[in-house]
Amino acid sequence: MLSRRTFLGTLAAAIPVAALVRRAHALAVDDITASPRTLHALAEVMLPAEVGRAGTDGATTNFQRWIAGYREGAELLHGYGTSALERSGPTPATRWAAQLDALDAMARKKGSPSFAALELDRRREIVRAELTALNADRIPPVERAPHVALALLAHWYATPDASDRCYEARIGKETCRPLASSARRPMPLTVVRT
Amino acid sequence: MSSSVKRTVVESDVCIIGSGISAAMVADRLARTTSARIVVVEAGDEAPPLGQRYALRDRYLQYGESPWPNDHLEGYEIEGPLQSRSMQVGGLAMHWGGVTPRWSPEDFRTRSLFGVGTDWPLSYDDLEPFYQEAEELMGVAGEQGPASMDPRSKPFPMSPIPLTYNLTLLREWTAKAGITMWSQPVAKNSRPYGGRAECCRNDTCTPICPIGAKYSPDFTWDRLRAARRITLYPRTLVRKLVLDERSMRIAGAEAVQRTRTDTGTPVEFRAKRFVVAAGYVWSAHLLLLSASSRTPAGIANRSGTVGKFLTGHRNQQAFISLPLRLFPGMNGQHSLLSKQFMRTPPSDRYLRHDLRVWESSFGRGPRLRADDGTLMLGDDIMRDWRARTRTGVARVRAYYDVVPDRSSELTLDTTRRNAWGDPLPKLAFRDAPESAALRDYSIATIRTLFESMAKAGNGTVLQTVEDDGPGWQDHPAGGCRMGDDGSTSVVDRWGRAHDHENLFIVGAPTCVSGSCANATLTFCALALRSAAELARSS
Ligand SMILES: Cc1cc2nc3c(=O)[nH]c(=O)nc-3n(C[C@H](O)[C@H](O)[C@H](O)COP(=O)(O)OP(=O)(O)OC[C@H]3O[C@@H](n4cnc5c(N)ncnc54)[C@H](O)[C@@H]3O)c2cc1C
Ligand code: SF4
Repeated sequence: MLSRRTFLGTLAAAIPVAALVRRAHALAVDDITASPRTLHALAEVMLPAEVGRAGTDGATTNFQRWIAGYREGAELLHGYGTSALERSGPTPATRWAAQLDALDAMARKKGSPSFAALELDRRREIVRAELTALNADRIPPVERAPHVALALLAHWYATPDASDRCYEARIGKETCRPLASSARRPMPLTVVRT
Repeated sequence: MSSSVKRTVVESDVCIIGSGISAAMVADRLARTTSARIVVVEAGDEAPPLGQRYALRDRYLQYGESPWPNDHLEGYEIEGPLQSRSMQVGGLAMHWGGVTPRWSPEDFRTRSLFGVGTDWPLSYDDLEPFYQEAEELMGVAGEQGPASMDPRSKPFPMSPIPLTYNLTLLREWTAKAGITMWSQPVAKNSRPYGGRAECCRNDTCTPICPIGAKYSPDFTWDRLRAARRITLYPRTLVRKLVLDERSMRIAGAEAVQRTRTDTGTPVEFRAKRFVVAAGYVWSAHLLLLSASSRTPAGIANRSGTVGKFLTGHRNQQAFISLPLRLFPGMNGQHSLLSKQFMRTPPSDRYLRHDLRVWESSFGRGPRLRADDGTLMLGDDIMRDWRARTRTGVARVRAYYDVVPDRSSELTLDTTRRNAWGDPLPKLAFRDAPESAALRDYSIATIRTLFESMAKAGNGTVLQTVEDDGPGWQDHPAGGCRMGDDGSTSVVDRWGRAHDHENLFIVGAPTCVSGSCANATLTFCALALRSAAELARSS
C-alpha cells in the first residue's frame, strides 16, 4: 500500500496543476516537519559527529525551514552574457518526503520499527546502498539533490559553520563582519573531534 | 496600441532615456550645474527599496532566486550574447560588482602607439577630471598604485578596502613573481560615505548589497527625486525618436507607459535636448528603430556605423594551488590588481592585459567521493575536506584587448519582436583581423605568465580557462562610437550626435575600444564629460 507521502508524491508528479502541486508541497512539508525523527537520524549519518546533538538539531531545523520556504517557478538569478531566463523547478519536498518514508520502510524490513531506531552503522549501510544505487558522485545544489540525504548534506555544507569547522577558524563567510578585522588571520576555532 | 487612447505629452529641457549608471551621472551633473527641468525615462520597474534587500539576498543565497524580481521586460529573449537581461531603475549597476579601475593612457592611442585599432578623439588627460568626478560621486575606495602605472591627479575619495589576510599573503607571492599588485579600487564604502553604510564584507556585492555600501544608481535617483530635481518615469519604454519637421533636431521621443494588463498608454516626451543613456545595446537599438523617410538608416546614422564596432575584452583565468594556508570567505569578491601589463612599451606583437588575483576555493570544496571513488559519509567528508584545504588556491585572471571589427554589430532582428511589434536587436561580436591574428599569441603569453607565477610560489596551475561563454566579450560597449569624422563615427568627442545637434549619446555605446579592464568607471567619466558639454552649450 502507498504511504501518504508516497501517494502525495505520485499525485503531484502525475497532475501538475499549480494549485495541486502547491497543496502537495505544503502537505509534504507538514509531514517532514511533524515527524522530524527520520530526518534527524539521517543527519547523524550524513554530518560529522563533531557537530553534536545541538549541531544536528540545528542542521535539521534549518533544512526543514529551507524545504518549507521553497518556491516553484521563482525567477532565478539572471545568467551573465545571455538573455535566457531561468525559473526554479518543481518542489523537491514531495520526492524527499517519499524517500524518508522509504528509509523507514527499509528499516522495517530489517526488523526495526523505524529508521531512527536503527544503530548508526545500520543506518549508514542503508544510506550508502541508496546513494550507490543512485550513482551519487558529488554534493549537488540542494534543490537538485536526487536524494534527501544529499540535500541535507549539501544544505549543511554550504553554511558558514561548516566552512569554519573545515578551516578550524572563525571566518564567518557571507556574514556581516567588521572590515578592518579582515586584515588579521581569522581567530582559531576549537573543534572537539569525536 | 489603440488609436482612441489619449497620448500624454511631457515637456522638459533635458530628456534622459534610460536610468542606468551613465544616466545617473548625467542627471547628477546637470542637476548640480544647471537649472534645467530634467526628465528621466526608464523602460523597467522601480528596484526594490534598500529595506527589502536583506530578505532578497537571503532568498538568493538560499535558493538562487534573483534578488531583483521582475527586473526585465517579457519577451526580450534575443539572439546573441546579452550582458544581462536586467532592465530596471538603476540598470545593470544594480547587479554590478562595483569594480572600478581606470583605463590607462595607452587605451586611447593604440593606433599611434602600437599600430593597432583606432585612436580615440580624446586622451586620458581629457578624461582624467571626469574619472575623479565619477569616483567622488559613486564613492570609490582605492589604493594609489605606483604613479608610473596608475596616473591620477588627486587621491581616491576613500582609503582602500583593506587587504584581507589572504590577499596579503597572495600579494607577497605575486611580488616574488615580479608583479606589483595593490588593492582593487571599488565603488564600495571603506567608511560611511554619501549617506550610505561602511562595507561589512558579507560578500554578495554581485548580485546585491543588502546594506547599500556598494554604490548603485538608485541612490542617486532617490536623492535627486527627494530634492525634486528630476522627474523619473519608470515602466516607460521609448520606442522612437522623432525629428523636428523643419530641421535635423530631435523634437520628441515616442514612448509607451507599460501596464501589467495590456500593452500600455502612449506618452510623448518633448525636450530641448535628448540624452540617450540606454547602454551598449538599447542605445543603438533605439536609433535604428527610429528610422524615418528622412533618416532611412535610423537616427544619427549618416555614417552607417550605428550598431557597428561593438567592443569589449576577453580573458584567460587560472586557478593556482599554492603552499599557503588561506581562509576563503574573508571577503571573496575583493581582489588585488596590477596594471603592469597594461602599460607595456611598444613591441613586436601587441598584447596588453590587466591582472587580478583573488582567494579561491576552486577544487577545494567538500566532496562525496574520495580519490579512489569510495563514497564518504559523516566524519569522512569533513576529514577529507580538512586534508585538502591545508594549502590554498588563488584565482588569477587577465582581461586582454580585442580590437573590434566593423561587423561586430547590433542589427534589427525582424524575426523577433517585442509586445509593441518592434524588432528586437541581434548581437554578434567579431574581432578585427589584426586582433584575430593575435588571439593565440595573447592566450599563450598569458598562460606562460600564469605558469611562471605558479613556479614563483612553488605552486601548480590546476586549470586555465576562458571564463566567458562563446561569442561573448566582457564589459561590452560601442555601437555608437565617437570620432571627429562624421562619416566614420556616430558622435563627436563630447558624445553629441554628428547629425543632430540636440542629441547626446552617452557612456558605453560611444566607446571606440574596450580596453582590458572593467569599463563602467570609464562609461561614467565619458557620460560626465558629455553632461559638462551639454550644460556648457545650453
Ligand atoms: C552581474 C554584473 C556584474 C558587473 N560588474 C561590474 C563591475 O564590477 N565593474 C564594471 O566596470 N562593470 C560591471 N558590470 C557592468 C556594468 O553593470 C555596466 O557596464 C553598467 O551598469 C552599464 O551602465 P549603462 O548606464 O551603460 O547601461 P544600463 O545599466 O544598461 O542602463 C540602461 C537603462 O536604460 C533602460 N532602457 C533601455 N532602452 C530603453 C528605452 N528604449 N526606453 C527607456 N529605457 C530604456 C534600461 O532598462 C536600463 O535600465 C557588471 C554587470 C553585471 C550584469
Ligand atoms: S561586501 Fe557586502 S557590504 Fe560590502 S559592498 Fe559587498 S555586499 Fe555590500
